Amino acid sequence: MAGDGLWAAMHSGSGGKTDEGHGLPRARWVHRAYALGLALLCAQPACARAEVPLRVMSINVCADQLVLALLPPQRITSVSWVARDDADSYLARAAARVPANHGTAEEVLRQHPDLVIAGTYTTTATRVLLRSVHYPLLEVAPAESFEDIRAVTRRIGAAVGATEAAESLIARMDAQLAWLAAHPPGRRFRVAVWNAGGASPGRGTLYDAVLTAAGAVNVVTEAGYRSFDTEELMRSAPDLLVQGASGFSKPGRRDDVVRHPLVLAYWGERSVTIPESLYTCGTPFSAEAALRLRRALEERSAVARRPLPYVGSVQ
Amino acid sequence: MTHLVVTGVSIRRGARMALQDVSATFSSGRFTAVIGPNGAGKSTLLAVLAGLLAPDAGAVRLDGAPLAQLARRELARVRAYLPQSARVDWPISVERVVALGLTPLLPTFGELVPGGQERIERALESCDLLQLRDREATTLSGGELARAMLARAIVADPRLLIVDEPTAGLDPRHAIDACQRLKSRSREGCTVVAAMHDLNLAAQYADDFAVLRAGRLLMHAPAAEVLREEVLSGLYDVAVRVRREAAETSVHFSA
Amino acid sequence: MRGWGVHAVLLAATALLAAVSLFVGTVWLSPHEVLAALSAPHPDLAALIFMDIHLPRTVLGLLVGAILGLSGAVLQGLLRNPLAEPGLLGISEAASLGSVIAVYYGFASTTTLAGPVFGLVGALGAASISLLLSRSGSTLSLILAGVATSSIATAGVNLALNLAPNPYAAYEISTWLMGSLADRSWTHVQLAAPFILVGGILLLLCGRALDALSLGEAQAESLGINLRRTRLLALAGTALGVGGATSVAGAIGFVGLVAPHLVRARVGNRPRRVLVPAALAGAAIVTAADIATRLIRVRPEISLGVFISLVGAPFFLWIVLRIRRQTT
Repeated sequence: MAGDGLWAAMHSGSGGKTDEGHGLPRARWVHRAYALGLALLCAQPACARAEVPLRVMSINVCADQLVLALLPPQRITSVSWVARDDADSYLARAAARVPANHGTAEEVLRQHPDLVIAGTYTTTATRVLLRSVHYPLLEVAPAESFEDIRAVTRRIGAAVGATEAAESLIARMDAQLAWLAAHPPGRRFRVAVWNAGGASPGRGTLYDAVLTAAGAVNVVTEAGYRSFDTEELMRSAPDLLVQGASGFSKPGRRDDVVRHPLVLAYWGERSVTIPESLYTCGTPFSAEAALRLRRALEERSAVARRPLPYVGSVQ
Repeated sequence: MTHLVVTGVSIRRGARMALQDVSATFSSGRFTAVIGPNGAGKSTLLAVLAGLLAPDAGAVRLDGAPLAQLARRELARVRAYLPQSARVDWPISVERVVALGLTPLLPTFGELVPGGQERIERALESCDLLQLRDREATTLSGGELARAMLARAIVADPRLLIVDEPTAGLDPRHAIDACQRLKSRSREGCTVVAAMHDLNLAAQYADDFAVLRAGRLLMHAPAAEVLREEVLSGLYDVAVRVRREAAETSVHFSA
Repeated sequence: MRGWGVHAVLLAATALLAAVSLFVGTVWLSPHEVLAALSAPHPDLAALIFMDIHLPRTVLGLLVGAILGLSGAVLQGLLRNPLAEPGLLGISEAASLGSVIAVYYGFASTTTLAGPVFGLVGALGAASISLLLSRSGSTLSLILAGVATSSIATAGVNLALNLAPNPYAAYEISTWLMGSLADRSWTHVQLAAPFILVGGILLLLCGRALDALSLGEAQAESLGINLRRTRLLALAGTALGVGGATSVAGAIGFVGLVAPHLVRARVGNRPRRVLVPAALAGAAIVTAADIATRLIRVRPEISLGVFISLVGAPFFLWIVLRIRRQTT
C-alpha cells in the first residue's frame, strides 16, 4: 500500500510529498477503518451506506486533497483528474495511485461508490443528477479561511468515517498556526501577490489569511479578488512580491506579464515564491503555505528592508 | 502609323481552343468591329490584342515590338482597354474616374500628371460629361456610365483603343452615341477595335470587320465584303437579309 | 481641399486622445505632476508610470490601431468589398494561432522574439495559403480561401487549447484572445513596431493600384497595374503588420472593418485616399477604446477587444443595413 505513505507524511509533520512513511500511525488507522467498515458491512448491510461509506469518489480537486489525506487508496474509487496535476494538487502523487475521473455521472454509475463528494461550484450536471436520484452526495463549498478549513475537514472526515484522522490533520494545522502566532516576524513586510493571472487576492480570501498568518501585510485591502496591474503595484510599492510557483515549468501567457521590465527592475530580488498547490485549495496544508512563506520572507528580509529606490515623497 | 499585327495566335482553354491560329493586322485610323456568335472568342481576341492575355502560340506586335516584351506601364500608356459592362465599385466622382485613365502617366511618386487637368477637361467635354463631373459614378445610368468609361479610356490619348461590347445594354440613342465617339477617335488616328453584336450599328460605323467563329478568324475585310447574306447566314446559322440603300446597309435576321 | 481637412481633424483627434491616454490609468497623473517628475534628477513614481507604463501603452495603441485601420482599408480596396478586414482572410486568427503555439509550447519562454515571430509565421502562412488557393485570380476565390483559412486557424487555436500542457491555458488564452494593452512595456513596443512599420510601408505602396482596382481587375491591369504584385504587397503587409500587432496586443477585431468606413465618404471614396485617414481613425479608435477600458471602473478591467467588439458589432450591423438599402 504505497499510497499510505502520504498520510504518514502528514501525521509526522514533515510536510512535502515524501513517500517514506512512519509506519505506526498508518497501520493502526487502516486496521481501525477496516475493522469498522467490515463490521458494519457484515452486521447490517442495509445500513452500511448510511453509516460509514466504504468507498468514496471525489469529483472536485479540493475535496480530492482531503479524501486522499483521510482514506487509504483502496477506499477511494477515484479522484478528479485535476488532482494528478501537481500544479494544482498538493497530493498529486497520491492521486496518481488511485483511478481518475472527469466528474461525469456515467463514471459514478460505473464505479458505484458509496459516497460522492463534489464541490459546490463544479460539475453541476452530475450533482443535479445525483441529487435527483438521492444518491449519497456531499457538496463542499471552497474554504476561504482557516475556520472554513476546520469545518470542511471535519465535515468530510465525518462523512467518510475518518473523524479521528480529520481531527489530527486539524490539530497539526493549528499547531503550525499557533507556532507562527507565537513567533511574530521582526518586521511585518508589506507584500503583494503578483501572479499576473489578472487577479490579486484581498480581504476575506484564503490567500490573504495565509499572508496574515505568515506575518505579512497584504497591500490589497479590498474584499475578494481584484485585478491589480503594474501601475497599482508601482503605487502601492510593496516590500516584497509573493509569486505562486505553478510547481514546474509549464509555460503560459502569465510569464510574459510577470516579466514586465519595471517589475523585474524593482522586485526582481524582492520576490518570494510558494507553490500554488499549497493554497489553490483550502486544506489543512494551507498552514504549510504560511510556514513556507514565513521562511521565504525571512530569507529576503535584508532586501525587503531597503526602501524602493523610486519611493520618495510620494509614498 | 500604328500597326497592331497578330500572327498565328492560339489560346487553349482546357481541351478547347479559344483561339486558333489567328493572324491579322489592325492599322491606325481604322475602326474594326469584331463580330461572331456567342463563344466565338471575341473577348479572348480583344484581351490578347490588349496584351492582357499572353497567347499560347503566336505573337502580337505593336509597331514591330512584341507586346509580351513591353513593360506594363509602357503598354498602358499607348493602349486603352474597356472590358464588357465595366463598372466602378466605389462611389467615386465621374471626374476622378476619368482621371484614373491617367494612371500609367503618373510619376513614380506624386499624384499629378503634367497637363493632366486639361486632358481630363477635354475627355469630359468630348464625352459630354461636364454636367456630370461631380456625380458619383455608382449613381450613373447605363448610358452615362458608358460615356464615363469611354472618357476614362481616351483621356490618355491612346494610340490603340480596344473595347469589348461598347453598346451592350445601351438604348439606341446611347449606342449610336458610343459608336460615333469610337469612330471619331479612329478618324483622329487611333486604332480602334471593338467587339460588337449589333450588326446594323457596326455596318454604319465600322471600317473593317473581323469575323470569328469557334476560335478561328474567318475573314478580316472591309464592311462591303463581310456584310453579305451568304457570309452572315453561314456565320450565325440563321436566315439573313442584307439591304443596301444609298450609303446605308441594314441587316435583318429571321429564324 | 476637403481631403486635407479630414486629415487635419483626424490627426488632431488622434493626438488629443493619445495625450489623454498618457495621463489616464489605474494611477492618474496630472501634466503638472509629470513635468515635475520628469525634471527631477531621479525617477520617482510618476515618472516611472508615465515613461514605462503609460507611454509604451499609448504608443502601442497608436501603432496597433493604425495598422489595423490601414490593413482594413487596403483589403477593402483590394477585394472591392466593404466587409473585408484582416480577419476575413484569416490573418488575425492565424497570427493568434502562432502566438498561442509559441506561448503554450514553451518557445516564448526561450526567446522573447518567439511570440511575434510565431505570430508572423502564422499570419504569413494564412496569407500565402489564401494567395495560393486563389491563384486562379478572382477576388471571390481569395475571399473564400480566406474564410477557409480563418476557420482552420480558429480550429487550430481551439485544438492548441485542448492540448495545452498548462492547466491555466484555457483561461489565459481566452483572456488574451480578447485583446488588451494592459501592462505592456517598451519590450512589446520594440518587438511589434518594426513589423508594424514595415507592414505599413508595404500596405501604403498599394495605393495607386487600389485606385485603379476600383474599375475592376481587367481595367486595372490594362492601366499597367501588376495585380499579382499588388496582392502580394497587400497580403504580406497585412501579415507583417497585423501579425506583429496581434502577437503583442491579442486579437482586436472590428477596427480594420470600421475605420475605413468612418472616413471613406469624407475623402471622396477613392481607395488610396482612404488609406492614411483609415490608419489615423484606427489609431484613434484603439486609443479611445483603451482609455475607455481604463475609465470604466469595472474590476477586472474590460478587455480592449471586447469593448471594441461591443461598440463595433452594432456598427457592423449598420453597415450591412446601409449596404442593403443602397442595393435595393
